Amino acid sequence: MSRLPAQPGERIDRTRPITFTFDGKTIPAYPGDTIASALYAHGRRTFSRSFKYHRPRGELCGCGQCANSLVQIGPRPGVRACAEPVTDGLAVKHTNARPGLDFDVMRATDIAGGPFTPPGFYYKTFIRPRRLWPVYEKVLRAAAGLGVLPKHQDDREWRTEYRRRHCDVLVIGGGVAGLAAALRAAQLGADVVLCDEDVEPGGALLHEGDHPRARALVEAARAAGVEILSGAPALGFFDGLVPVWQGDTLHQVRATRHIAATGTIEQPLVFPDNDLPGVMLAGGARRLAALYGVKPGNAAVVATTGDRGLEAALALHAVGVRVAAVADLRPDAGGGTFAAQIEAAGIELMRGATVVRAIGRQAVTGAVLAPIDARGYALEGHARTFACDLVAVSGGAIPSTSLLLQGGAKARYDEATGRFVADGLHDLVLAAGSVAGHEDADSAELSGSVAGAEAALALGFGEAADRATLEQDQSRLRDRPAPSPVATPPAVARDREKRGKAFVDLDEDVTVKDIGLAAAEGYDSIELSKRYTTVTMGPSQGRFSQLASIRALGAHTGLTESEVGMTTARPPWVSVPMGVFAGRPFEPAKRSAIHGRQREQNATVRWAGDWRRAYDYGDPEAEALAVHEGAGIIDVSTLGKLLVRGSGAGKLLDQLYPNRFSNLKPGRVRYGVMTSDAGRIMDDGTICRLDDDSFYVTTTSAGASAVEEWFGWWLATWDIDARVTDLTQSLAAVNLAGPKAREILAQLSDADVSADAFAYLDSRQATVAGVPALLLRIGFVGEVGYEIHFPAAYGEHVWDALVAAGARPFGLEPQRVLRLQKLHVIVGQDTDSESTPYGAAMPWIVKLDKDEDFIGRWALEHAAEHPAETALVGFTMSNGHVPTEGAVVMAQNGGPMGQVTSARRSRQLGAVIGMAWVPAALAEDGATITISDEGARHAATVTTSPFFDPEGKVLRS
Amino acid sequence: MSFAFLSPAADVVARSPMERQARAAGARFELRDGWNVAVAYAGEEQKLRSVGFSDCSHLRKYELQGDLPSLEFGRSTVDGDATWLPMTRTRALILGGEPPAGALEVTTGFGLLRLAGPLARETFARFTAIDLRPQVVRPGDWRPGSVARTPGGILCEAEGRFLMLFGAALGQYVWTVVADAAGRFGGGAVGADALVRGEAGDEASAEAGAAGA
Repeated sequence: MSRLPAQPGERIDRTRPITFTFDGKTIPAYPGDTIASALYAHGRRTFSRSFKYHRPRGELCGCGQCANSLVQIGPRPGVRACAEPVTDGLAVKHTNARPGLDFDVMRATDIAGGPFTPPGFYYKTFIRPRRLWPVYEKVLRAAAGLGVLPKHQDDREWRTEYRRRHCDVLVIGGGVAGLAAALRAAQLGADVVLCDEDVEPGGALLHEGDHPRARALVEAARAAGVEILSGAPALGFFDGLVPVWQGDTLHQVRATRHIAATGTIEQPLVFPDNDLPGVMLAGGARRLAALYGVKPGNAAVVATTGDRGLEAALALHAVGVRVAAVADLRPDAGGGTFAAQIEAAGIELMRGATVVRAIGRQAVTGAVLAPIDARGYALEGHARTFACDLVAVSGGAIPSTSLLLQGGAKARYDEATGRFVADGLHDLVLAAGSVAGHEDADSAELSGSVAGAEAALALGFGEAADRATLEQDQSRLRDRPAPSPVATPPAVARDREKRGKAFVDLDEDVTVKDIGLAAAEGYDSIELSKRYTTVTMGPSQGRFSQLASIRALGAHTGLTESEVGMTTARPPWVSVPMGVFAGRPFEPAKRSAIHGRQREQNATVRWAGDWRRAYDYGDPEAEALAVHEGAGIIDVSTLGKLLVRGSGAGKLLDQLYPNRFSNLKPGRVRYGVMTSDAGRIMDDGTICRLDDDSFYVTTTSAGASAVEEWFGWWLATWDIDARVTDLTQSLAAVNLAGPKAREILAQLSDADVSADAFAYLDSRQATVAGVPALLLRIGFVGEVGYEIHFPAAYGEHVWDALVAAGARPFGLEPQRVLRLQKLHVIVGQDTDSESTPYGAAMPWIVKLDKDEDFIGRWALEHAAEHPAETALVGFTMSNGHVPTEGAVVMAQNGGPMGQVTSARRSRQLGAVIGMAWVPAALAEDGATITISDEGARHAATVTTSPFFDPEGKVLRS
Repeated sequence: MSFAFLSPAADVVARSPMERQARAAGARFELRDGWNVAVAYAGEEQKLRSVGFSDCSHLRKYELQGDLPSLEFGRSTVDGDATWLPMTRTRALILGGEPPAGALEVTTGFGLLRLAGPLARETFARFTAIDLRPQVVRPGDWRPGSVARTPGGILCEAEGRFLMLFGAALGQYVWTVVADAAGRFGGGAVGADALVRGEAGDEASAEAGAAGA
């Protein structure tokens, strides 16, 4: 066990011990522990096996940023053990090791697999013979992976919810700068949200010895009304929208101002065997001790490039870790008080030196420290070996600029600090704290306060006195001392021995040598290097490897870091389950007022555009026959319904459609086809004149919104006295059709529906089953038919009455057969964006003799003079095969020259019929066409008139 | 009359697009103004501690186009029993009251849900990005926009009480979304009067008090 005595400010509650299991073994823990801290306290040092080489990996960062401690919890793979809180009874398993973490047979790839797994090996090996790829894929996936998904869909579904949150100021980052920013902005009156990825806000102060200050700031911020979201990383910056993921909630935060107080990320050093368990970031070691009371090692060596490592060495010494030596790459070890304190504590301090090798097999047992030359090689005769079980490294810290860069800032290499910083921030984004270069706690807090005030005052909060205070604070910030100097480490520091892998990217097992090999093959830009070697593409997304890979590439190519540059920062900032973005499993669906009744009547329901529609009621053939033999009823509530009113209503329609409507008499209906500017068919429907100034227009179900928009767009342009009201959802509609339709309607309506009184294409207003309705004597299915439109709230009542009177429900599928028998076009199915009324066998629609100009006139005049190469016709199959819709119609010379748009078997006709676009020369009755379908050719006979009741006598009877 | 087919039926019960769901949630119904209205559910008091929602689709709605009395965008205007909601410079929806001259009856074209309670705003946040913060939306403010990924709008009737408008054909879907969001907080469907009960009850008490004095 490696527990320390209780530490001031520690997170764990030692009064309530709990247990969990790791690979079936019971592990003691305390509330507040992470899985990793509890395992570490219990003596575990290997937490995972690396992705490719299956090398043992141990704790590195201690804060959930690296991928060294990925575990599986139940169905959830990829859980970061160093950030995941322990709960009593939790069952945790290792990943990517067989049979176990302490002995993994796949380590053979590290020992012997080198020649087979060079960088880019995916493009070189395991690709021939191609037919074996499915085998290779399975082997590779089993050999290298970061977790296993459950087999059953139910077990791996994870739905979250969205929460939309508007605020004045969003602060990203809950360290001292972020808290100060949030507090100040809230004090000035702004509505502030702060999000922080750690389970507890407070940032580095929590484990660097000033937790009371951090916690006091948190309390003050909460008291000022700041909403603090913990365990809530911001995933990206999307033009002002910042998604923040917190457990099972995705907060979509829209703020007027953003403050990025995202801090810095401590960097590892690159040297041979720098991946051994026991090599840890200095900050990670401090976290273990301060937050979880875990002794990170018995004997330690610290290698640093700045004061951060020196502070860590002192902190480790204070908790009883024997610090054998500290290597500070700076020739003067910073020249400040930390160096003096180190030596006063009796710890050897090597100036101008660094770690050049870690020693050990399963874990660190020693380290070699030495001064190095310009290329990173240890100076001859100066290397010293120290026995230790902990190598704490601190290679500087890079600003966490990803969100700033996503928001439009540019990355610039800063020579003085040896890292990339963000310049040119978006106008609505501020940076505060160490991400903006204010590294010590006092500077960070002041910079946060300044940013908070700047954000709030820019939004109009605060008073004149607050502005004066801000100016004073800005001046004080400028006068703050500069951060302590840091040294820039080499791409790799090493002794003269050739053995050992020096890793640039622990996630992807990419070494310095790999970067060099890739560059030698020509992948010598950072973007190519990334994609070829996969460096920075692992779970930590380059947090600990991007700068190292840039240095490595620079060393191999002779380019400076600035010349190499950075790759593009992209969301998400942390790896996110897909379910987080999926949200709740609800999809907008329109349903008619009769939908519930139809489901009770065993309708098969399918999507038709954005509606749920009855496809059939169990027997589409019988439903179609019922329409011919008795009466059928179909729900057509989905049709678009527009009321066009005004003295100019007729003129409007004449200008929108190629046919003429201004001469339609009140009480009559006319079919309309709408064309685009290019004379192509857009939509169709019926237009009924209600009175001199009112027309009732129907559209296709899918086209309702587009047609309403089209009407509105042109109305806004033309000076016509007309208004359009969309009644699509206000009215239900049913089509009653068949030889008995008139009889049924007569029973239920107060209208005179006799053939003489209510002729084909008449309209009437009457009641049906006691409900006011608009009746249109029209037909789409070939029999005597009535389309009945009435207020939707009475949908089931009218439907029930008609069904009770003898009408049999039929759905979309039988309707398709019935209308096909009449060669009625379905816009969008039988037509496409190139179809004109002429090609679609509707030349009578186009009234070129109209006085008014109308949409598409010029194009249609042109089309009238230049017939299209193809025409829409009906056909009957010779062999009874039902061709696939979309099957090709062959030209006489054997090439493709058209396509089948609709095809069905008609029981009424005892034949397979369809519609197709065919070469114009074949668009005549009796012509034979050839249809190529599923590898075979089929003959069909063309017809240009309806298959059923070609003269429309039944329809008009 | 040219638009008689838009009128309510005299002797047939009108039903909300969400009636089936209300029934499945255990509603008790009453006939009001020709509509079958869900007036009570079990456990209303408990739900109202977080958020309750009630189906008010039976409220009369009219559309008026043309020259409108001057209306302020983003604000509703109350005129007697009617509440005017401006949609554009030349189009307004009117809730309740008698239809003004030239208005079209569109009652059945829209669903209406009333939401109220301490967590009403948090409930809305689950399915709309319309900003309803109290410092941004005051009682009487009207916000057309996307609700549950469909075109609609939200009227702030009073502090913590909102009326949400959406297409009637989307009623079943919107109920599902709202019930899911409210259920997360322990809220749920309540009767049509439950969310305005305080006001009606206060008036009744005042009258009773006056009668007894």
